[in-house]
Amino acid sequence: MIRCTHLTKKFKQKVAVDNISLDIGSGIIFGLLGPNAAGKTTLIRLLSGILKNDSGDISINGMQVNDAKSDYGYVAQHFGQYEELSVWENVKFYASLYNVTDELHLMSLLERYSLTEFKKHRAGTLSGGYQRRLALVCALAHNPAVLFLDEPTAGIDPVTRKLLWDDFYQLSTEGKTLFVTTHYMEEAQRCHQLAFISSGKIVAQSSPETIKQALGNVNVFTSRVSYLPEIHQALKKLKGMILVNQFGNECRMVVEPELTLSMLQKTMTSITGDVVNVQPSEPNIEDVFIALTQKTPVIKRSLRAS
Amino acid sequence: MIMAIIRKELIQLRRDPRLIGLIVVMPLVLLILFGVALKLEPQNVRMAYFDGDTSFFTNLIKTGLWSDGYFELYSVNSKNEIIEEIRSGRAKAGLYIDQDFSAQLVENNQPHIIFFVDGTMPSLTTAMKYHSKDATDEGVTNDMYFSDAESASVVIAQDPFIMDTHILFNPDEKETWFFLPGVIGVLIMQIALILTGITVVREREKKTLEKILVTPLSKTAFILGKLIPYVVIALLDFYFILGAGWMLFDLPQPSSHMLLFVLALIYVAVMISLGLFISLIAKTQQQAMFIAIFIIVPSILLSGFIFPLEAIPESVRTISNIIPFTYFVEIIRGLLIKHTLFQDLLNSYLALSGFFVVFVIASIFKFQRTL
Repeated sequence: MIRCTHLTKKFKQKVAVDNISLDIGSGIIFGLLGPNAAGKTTLIRLLSGILKNDSGDISINGMQVNDAKSDYGYVAQHFGQYEELSVWENVKFYASLYNVTDELHLMSLLERYSLTEFKKHRAGTLSGGYQRRLALVCALAHNPAVLFLDEPTAGIDPVTRKLLWDDFYQLSTEGKTLFVTTHYMEEAQRCHQLAFISSGKIVAQSSPETIKQALGNVNVFTSRVSYLPEIHQALKKLKGMILVNQFGNECRMVVEPELTLSMLQKTMTSITGDVVNVQPSEPNIEDVFIALTQKTPVIKRSLRAS
Repeated sequence: MIMAIIRKELIQLRRDPRLIGLIVVMPLVLLILFGVALKLEPQNVRMAYFDGDTSFFTNLIKTGLWSDGYFELYSVNSKNEIIEEIRSGRAKAGLYIDQDFSAQLVENNQPHIIFFVDGTMPSLTTAMKYHSKDATDEGVTNDMYFSDAESASVVIAQDPFIMDTHILFNPDEKETWFFLPGVIGVLIMQIALILTGITVVREREKKTLEKILVTPLSKTAFILGKLIPYVVIALLDFYFILGAGWMLFDLPQPSSHMLLFVLALIYVAVMISLGLFISLIAKTQQQAMFIAIFIIVPSILLSGFIFPLEAIPESVRTISNIIPFTYFVEIIRGLLIKHTLFQDLLNSYLALSGFFVVFVIASIFKFQRTL
């Protein structure tokens, strides 16, 4: 469905996308994960024909991008609809650019995304969540086989986000291929395939389950403990410590097998004075993401091995 | 707190090099241009003459008119031809001398000569009338006094000949007739450039352009889709303003409504396509506005709208020739005031059409299907 080979794009001297090759089949939700300025938006813009590549080839549905424009839709990171136009006018406008005149089909899309009651509202007056839905309806107006979604749930409340993701699944079961860039780990976890992009390169690509294995032979522990700089300093100094990540009251540690639960517990307890409970956990996408973006030695080793 | 805002504004300005360029370069270019170009006193005003007498005396008159470099004389074959030369715009003034001028002169019959002057531009009309006095200067007329042998002592006090001045096309020298047709063009230029000058750049700023780029819409369809509605709006605006001019200021009716419509259509199309091109080369709406002003100001001053083209030095006249408004002013004054024949306006119509073609092609070329 989506194929690119040796895709490269430079902005002056900076290589934004560096020799990327992908082959994404139909009915797949493909997630592209990466830190800010890693090249996610550049890659999705290249694949959707918004940017011109310096080298490499792109094909969608077996055709060059310019010949395949009716076969894909695009939802931008920002709103990108006409604020002065009503919801219905926006939908009809984008549909007409693809020669779609079937109003029943367009109405059914509005219904599907709960936009019918806002049909006559100006797009600019919609809330962020409904604006996203409208963008999605506009992108789906011509019933494309491929959908490019650039951070489609950024700034959206969790309920709407879940609804949108349920719909993405539905679209994929209808045979559509979805290419999604995201910052959210739980969204990444839901993709059928996942790629990590860092400094313009794909550094890992597989199913989320396999991606988690990219960390290699490591153990993960968590502990309910408030953030204390001393604890972090002490943990980082331990031999075999790969990552220490504090999120709220949870401290998450990725360690080499030589570093045991009791050694971690002992270190933390010695600083807090109270007994700190440390529990084993499973590696998750976020662990891999942080390890990949920080390019820790273990991940480099693991990636080399894979 | 005010300082924080001031600093922020200055930083934003400093980081927009194109805008800085426009702020610095535009006033400098305009200052130099106008310093060189703007003169109220024209030179080499073309005057068509018919000299039916071609005598020593008529040569004195023509030399008087020619000598200070104000008029540039050329000969035609009849009085009507003089009028047509002025109507077509090839001449601004005319001189008609009858075939019996010398005979009447020596008989002391005070022959009449006719000085024709184009009345469409009152400031130029006044200047031409003033300079026509060179023909009746003492230096010219000194050799035109005659006395017969029987009354040799009689001193003839009257002028040897009389110059009648005929103001053509705008005999009452109405300023409104001169200004209003051009004002219509200026208003349409402003409306068109501002309407369309931001149309694409706004899409770029609001990120809607990105969504357009992924659709199968062709470049030509995009450009024409942008042009057509604004052309219709500006065309309606043209007739709205012109209608107000007819009702409120008693502007004359055109020699041909069809030709006026063609002019309106081509002119608004030129201005809209120019606005669209501006919108394609500007990165921000602010830049687009500056570029529009950069075009509007010289258009007003160098087109012959206010200052006569004859007053603009040859070196700067090239700029007048690449200003679409120059041709609009010539055509609309021709149609409304002088009732100039179509064949005499054809080149200006073609020039305006040429601008439209160039701006549309440039816009299609400039509009990229990728960001």
